[in-house]
Amino acid sequence: MNKKQKNMSWQSLSSIIYPAIFGIVVFVMWQGGLLNILLHTDTNTLPSPSRINSIIMDNQAKIFLNLKATVIVALVGLLFGSLIGYGIAIVAAQYRKWGAGGITLASAFNAVPIVALAPVMNNLTKHISSSVDFRSMLAKTLVVMIVCIAGMSVNAYRGLTELKPFSEDLMKTYAAGNFTVFKKLLLPNSIPYVFTALRISLPGSIISALVTEYFSEKVIGIGRQIRENIVTAQFATAWAYIIISCLLGIVLYVLLLLVESVVMKNRNRK
Amino acid sequence: MAQIKKKKNSSTMVTLLWTLAFFLIWELIAFWVESSASIRSPEKVLPHFWKIVAVAFDGKTINGTDTAIQLVWLNAKVTLIRSAQGFVIGASIGFLLAILMSLSQIIKKIAFPYLMIIQMIPILGMAPILLSFTGDIDSSRIIIAAILTFYPVATNTLAGMEAVEKEKHELMYSYAANKWQLYTKTLIPASIPYFFTGLKVSAPLAITASILVDTLQGGIGLGCLLSQSLKGAMTRYVFWLIVVISAAIGILSYLLMGLLEDAISSHKKAERACKR
Repeated sequence: MNKKQKNMSWQSLSSIIYPAIFGIVVFVMWQGGLLNILLHTDTNTLPSPSRINSIIMDNQAKIFLNLKATVIVALVGLLFGSLIGYGIAIVAAQYRKWGAGGITLASAFNAVPIVALAPVMNNLTKHISSSVDFRSMLAKTLVVMIVCIAGMSVNAYRGLTELKPFSEDLMKTYAAGNFTVFKKLLLPNSIPYVFTALRISLPGSIISALVTEYFSEKVIGIGRQIRENIVTAQFATAWAYIIISCLLGIVLYVLLLLVESVVMKNRNRK
Repeated sequence: MAQIKKKKNSSTMVTLLWTLAFFLIWELIAFWVESSASIRSPEKVLPHFWKIVAVAFDGKTINGTDTAIQLVWLNAKVTLIRSAQGFVIGASIGFLLAILMSLSQIIKKIAFPYLMIIQMIPILGMAPILLSFTGDIDSSRIIIAAILTFYPVATNTLAGMEAVEKEKHELMYSYAANKWQLYTKTLIPASIPYFFTGLKVSAPLAITASILVDTLQGGIGLGCLLSQSLKGAMTRYVFWLIVVISAAIGILSYLLMGLLEDAISSHKKAERACKR
């Protein structure tokens, strides 16, 4: 192995080793109680990882129940929000003169604090169903959906309009129909942008799912459990749910990256 | 030139019309909600927009001392100050970290995966635990706003510094420029547009964070007032006033960052206008 190769492999290896060392140091400090001293907290507010782990192990069934509620809300909301967002983008891209303004308006919704929507949705769904289970689920999903629409429509619109020069004219010379243009040109072109949007809206959907649970009628979900346990000063249990929510975020994000790498395999990412 | 101006004007008009259409749809739904037999308290679902505006200009006091708009404005001011504090702290730390990461490979390698992870985990879910850390609701509001500001700014600024072409580095090298000159003359100016992209993302986030942490504990702030009005402590229109005002603040904060960008790097203003 010559020197350059050696250098290369060290380069890639070190980008795993350095953060791993940092992570282990923090973990050891946390377990050893050094973190408590540094942050001026007692072991009650910041329990050691082993204690949190044992709580997770003890409450597996209950945690799974809450996890399921949160995951369903986040993913269903994400799915429908993204589909609607993409649909809006298609319509806006068809009628570009009017569409651009609509997309500007949609991007303004990105700046609106979603928290405010949660209580409104609760009141709205009160009249739809008499089942508390269903309507609180629906209210939460609607909020997540609205959060995801804006990001997807803005990004997909870019994917559907920022085409290679003359590619649309080329399609025209082929006498391609609207649907063919969409299938062969617009859809493939928009895929990278869709993933860009998903990378933003996936964590966004989890966060909004957690937050809307604060306001929902039924006491269920990871976010609600974090809050309920803090209110009753059960910090160790709250930490267990926080760790679960972080793991959920990381696992779903990694899954998204995997799907992205499979889909984009034969494509040069811009 | 005249054509560009014309095009720009027409796109402003289109946006304006859309905004009007949005309020029109709001009003239509409000009428439907009002006339619907099964919805007993329409102001809880969707009141008319003009009624919300009317409450804002209503001279009647709602808690003995303040009118609705005075009360909301008082709380909004506190929320704004807190999120601005968190925003400035977060943006400065993010900018510094980006510089450190571009200076040192080791720091970059350590910090980058964790920056990715921060992006994936729901920070807002951690707000309650932070409250028990600091014990002080005010500082935990500022810290959450700072954390949420910090990573878009750090990652965007770093991307900006890394997007500088190799030729520019070589040119600076041929000038025998030192590190300080390299950063002040080339890298930092080049990263400014990216830095502002980060700021535009995080400005509304900082405000959302501040409002959300408010709802955890009483006191003063838009979020506190929001949960009070939801519990029925005052007329429901206060709640709607908060929704409208916080939406306006979020959008204005985004626009403010754009204005700031124009003011700081005015020579690139024309370039940006073409892109828009």
